[in-house]
Amino acid sequence: MNGRRAVRRIALAAVAGVGLAVWAFPVLWGLLTSFKTERDVLAYPPVWIFKPTLDNYREVLFGASSIVPNLWSSLVVSTCATRLTMLIAVPAAYALGRLRYPAKRTSGFYVLATQMLPPVGLIIPYYLALQRLGALDTYSGLIVIYLTFSLPFAIWLMVSYFEDVPLEMEEAALLDRAGRLRALWHVILPQVRGGIAVTTIFVFLNAWNEFMFAVVLGGNRVRPVTVAMFNFISVEQTQWARLAAGAMLAMAPVILIGIFAQRHIVKGLTVGAVKGGGRR
Amino acid sequence: MPAAAVRGRSLEAQERRFALWLLAPALAALLLTTTVPLVYLAWNSLHRLDLSMPWLSGFAGLDNYAKMGSDPRFWNSLWLTFVYTVSTVTLQVIVGLSLALLVLQIPKGQGLLRVAAILPIVLAPVVVGLFWRTLVLAPDVGLVDLVTRSLGLGSHNWLGDPQLALISVIAIHTWQWTPFAFLVLLATLATLPPDVYEAARLDRASAWQRFVHITLPLIRPAVVMVVILRMMTALSAFAAIFAATGGGPGSATEILNLYAYRTSFTELNLGYGASLAMVLLAITLGISYLMFRLRRVRR
Repeated sequence: MNGRRAVRRIALAAVAGVGLAVWAFPVLWGLLTSFKTERDVLAYPPVWIFKPTLDNYREVLFGASSIVPNLWSSLVVSTCATRLTMLIAVPAAYALGRLRYPAKRTSGFYVLATQMLPPVGLIIPYYLALQRLGALDTYSGLIVIYLTFSLPFAIWLMVSYFEDVPLEMEEAALLDRAGRLRALWHVILPQVRGGIAVTTIFVFLNAWNEFMFAVVLGGNRVRPVTVAMFNFISVEQTQWARLAAGAMLAMAPVILIGIFAQRHIVKGLTVGAVKGGGRR
Repeated sequence: MPAAAVRGRSLEAQERRFALWLLAPALAALLLTTTVPLVYLAWNSLHRLDLSMPWLSGFAGLDNYAKMGSDPRFWNSLWLTFVYTVSTVTLQVIVGLSLALLVLQIPKGQGLLRVAAILPIVLAPVVVGLFWRTLVLAPDVGLVDLVTRSLGLGSHNWLGDPQLALISVIAIHTWQWTPFAFLVLLATLATLPPDVYEAARLDRASAWQRFVHITLPLIRPAVVMVVILRMMTALSAFAAIFAATGGGPGSATEILNLYAYRTSFTELNLGYGASLAMVLLAITLGISYLMFRLRRVRR
């Protein structure tokens, strides 16, 4: 019996180990590659022990095709889109989750339906509209358009957090004649702080990683780092070490968020999946 | 009328007004960024709108839709969308669920696995596509070729051969999104009441019986939800395929989403692209409607 249990343990650990390796290895391999010279990258059999170089990072940071402007673009677009989204989504989610008003079901369904729209269907009208408005390749154009996927997602995720706030808190605040807005601000919002953190993280991740809207509606001025990475490989086909270094820098923010906000992310995924909101 | 009732009604009216104020910005934004563009998309799909031949533009009625019937590339993309969606979603749920069931029994080290699982999810699909195209799937020096070569299976052009390319993009998608199914199902499984299992074990139910009769019914809502969300992602998959193969070689990995994109922004035929996007929209809404009904009926 004891022997069988030991075998089972080892087998389980092995399976988990494979899962771990398959998911983590490509990323670690990319990290390793980013410190290699281009010659070492193409060596066969692959070199495990090599003299690490920082040249790739120096090149993608300070070289001719520096990605620093692209990182800046991504930062501006993502933080602005996140703030705008949260500003609009949180009050709406409170109304949807907590207040009584006519056509509540319809408005909830409408928000959910907008989340199902395929982005390719929206990008054609956006392209035509922004072109006419002269707003192609502008920050404001891209930021507003990021609302299409971030807003329905954020609203639905926040609704499930508002629904968990005990009703008594609200009633107590209202009895104090505090006024609804003040009750929301001082009593309810502190209760959903965790939910706001989770939602903010997800909205930011999705905005940072977005590619299709950025590649069509951006340009020379507004070029997020996802687009820069894509362009890099079309131009510098064989510079993989440099690509790896660029990718590591481009993905550093989301990887760090992933590692440090692990619990938040798992929570967001499950809340979304159980309640029916959330696309990612 | 008693004063309390009047106050009650005015409170209700006040609540209604407040809700409206809170909702108005969101509804206006959604109307402006989703519904209006959609109407414009439908309108464009009824036009001939070819930026490479602008002088031919004009109202075309249902011509674009009629054209699809005899467009082999459209039917090919529809078939690929089906294959891609069904295979990636099935793989994600089966692998994710099996792994979750196994990992649940591991006393230690779940945290490490969770971090590893989060990595693919947080990466930008376009970067994932580029990574696989170069470091993982490149002939000779890619990780996969290193493995197949050392196993004596030889080197393959994973993204250049039409059939292998389709398998490769399915593998990329499955790699990136299986952690989602895994994490959600792991969290769901962890909330199941242990006493039900104790009773079943006393009844000498086998592990498989316990899974089919107890676990599966309990986690069904979560599984259905995972399937719905994963289908939506698969149907609108774009950046990873675009970066890895660009839809090629030829149109070997050109799912409907990519076909609509390429028609609109590579061939600049926005009218036809719009009608293709309308078809994708109809499929997406149809499927989500069906799945949500399924979810409600089963509960």
